[in-house]
Amino acid sequence: MTMVRGMHLTPIGEGCVLLEPADGFDPGDPDAYLVPLAGTLQRMRARRLLYDLKNVPVIDSLYFAWLSSLAAMCRISGIAMVVVSMRPATAYALALTMKDQPPFDCALDVNRARALP
Amino acid sequence: MARNPKADPKATRSTNQLLIEQMMTKVATISQDIEKRGQNIFGQSNLLTIDEINDYSLEFLELFVLLLQASERIDRRGSEYKALRQFFSNFSQQIQIRGGNLEEFVRYIHFMQDVFLHNLESDATLGFQQTREILLLLASVFNDIILDVFHIYLAEKERTIQAQQEELKHTSTPITEIWDGVLTLPIIGTLDSSRTMSVMENMLARIEKDRARVVVIDVTGVQAIDSQVSHHLIQMIRAVGLMGAKAILTGIRPEIARAITSLNIDLSMVSTRSTLSEGLKEAFALLGVSVQTASGPLH
Repeated sequence: MTMVRGMHLTPIGEGCVLLEPADGFDPGDPDAYLVPLAGTLQRMRARRLLYDLKNVPVIDSLYFAWLSSLAAMCRISGIAMVVVSMRPATAYALALTMKDQPPFDCALDVNRARALP
Repeated sequence: MARNPKADPKATRSTNQLLIEQMMTKVATISQDIEKRGQNIFGQSNLLTIDEINDYSLEFLELFVLLLQASERIDRRGSEYKALRQFFSNFSQQIQIRGGNLEEFVRYIHFMQDVFLHNLESDATLGFQQTREILLLLASVFNDIILDVFHIYLAEKERTIQAQQEELKHTSTPITEIWDGVLTLPIIGTLDSSRTMSVMENMLARIEKDRARVVVIDVTGVQAIDSQVSHHLIQMIRAVGLMGAKAILTGIRPEIARAITSLNIDLSMVSTRSTLSEGLKEAFALLGVSVQTASGPLH
């Protein structure tokens, strides 16, 4: 497991890296995370980033902006970003506030995300 | 001519005491009158048995006397007053449960009041002021009781309507796992905010529970679509996507399609099929499932 400040990164095979936000992660400061994270993902030769939302109960506009920034960075770096394990209540609340399609793929869990084409 | 209070012992008593005296001296007549009227109203329609009517009549008189005995003036916060209101609450609920009519029940309460008034009229020893005070007391107590009965009636009706709406919500949007990983959600009627909320909650929970990959939302039963309904549909489809499942919208009738284009609603991000069966074929295709008859492929 590799640690970037505020998040755990675990390579899970076939170019997939699982990102689990840790305590103290601040989505309001994306610049503090994007560059070190991009460097780490490149060193890991990641082709797909699986962002685990299991422990994220609420996705507000700030958190959504962070996810969008990360998805944009992944796209530029040639990494597919998949958000996994979103809770039903979180999906419900987010769907009510979203104006467009999310800039990332979604999967029910890690296995489904790995099986995506 | 004005009465001399010293010459009239009744003049020194409170309204409550006077009313208690009235009731005590004529309790048999009052009780009989109330029972008789109760039997006319509730007995004929078999809402209550004669024993029940008599029990209710006696209980009412007891509670009313206790209320009058409790203090010089009616204490609306006192336990005796609460007990009398509770008695009427229970009584009216009983009548409602048995299919009784609120109007008749209110008439019955009015009649109870009339019985006391009738007895006042026949008592020549009461002065004008005393009669007036007794009248005011009776009017105030019985008006409160009637208001309570109305509140209970309305609350009960409201509860019934809400329960029916809840049941309708569940029965009009049954979410079924029609195949491993495929859920169908037929929507009948209209989609307002409250219904969308309930449907979305159930649907997302089912996606998680059944590990669904595809949700076929069938709107064949939707009679009309406006921007609000389409907005709710888009929200539902987005929520399905966020859970990692794919939504397919089916059953868009020509009138609905016309309405959607007129409203400039963009459904380009939504996978649509004309019928539920086409939607299911699409779902199977997404899962890599092929359905065929024993003799060959299904066309």
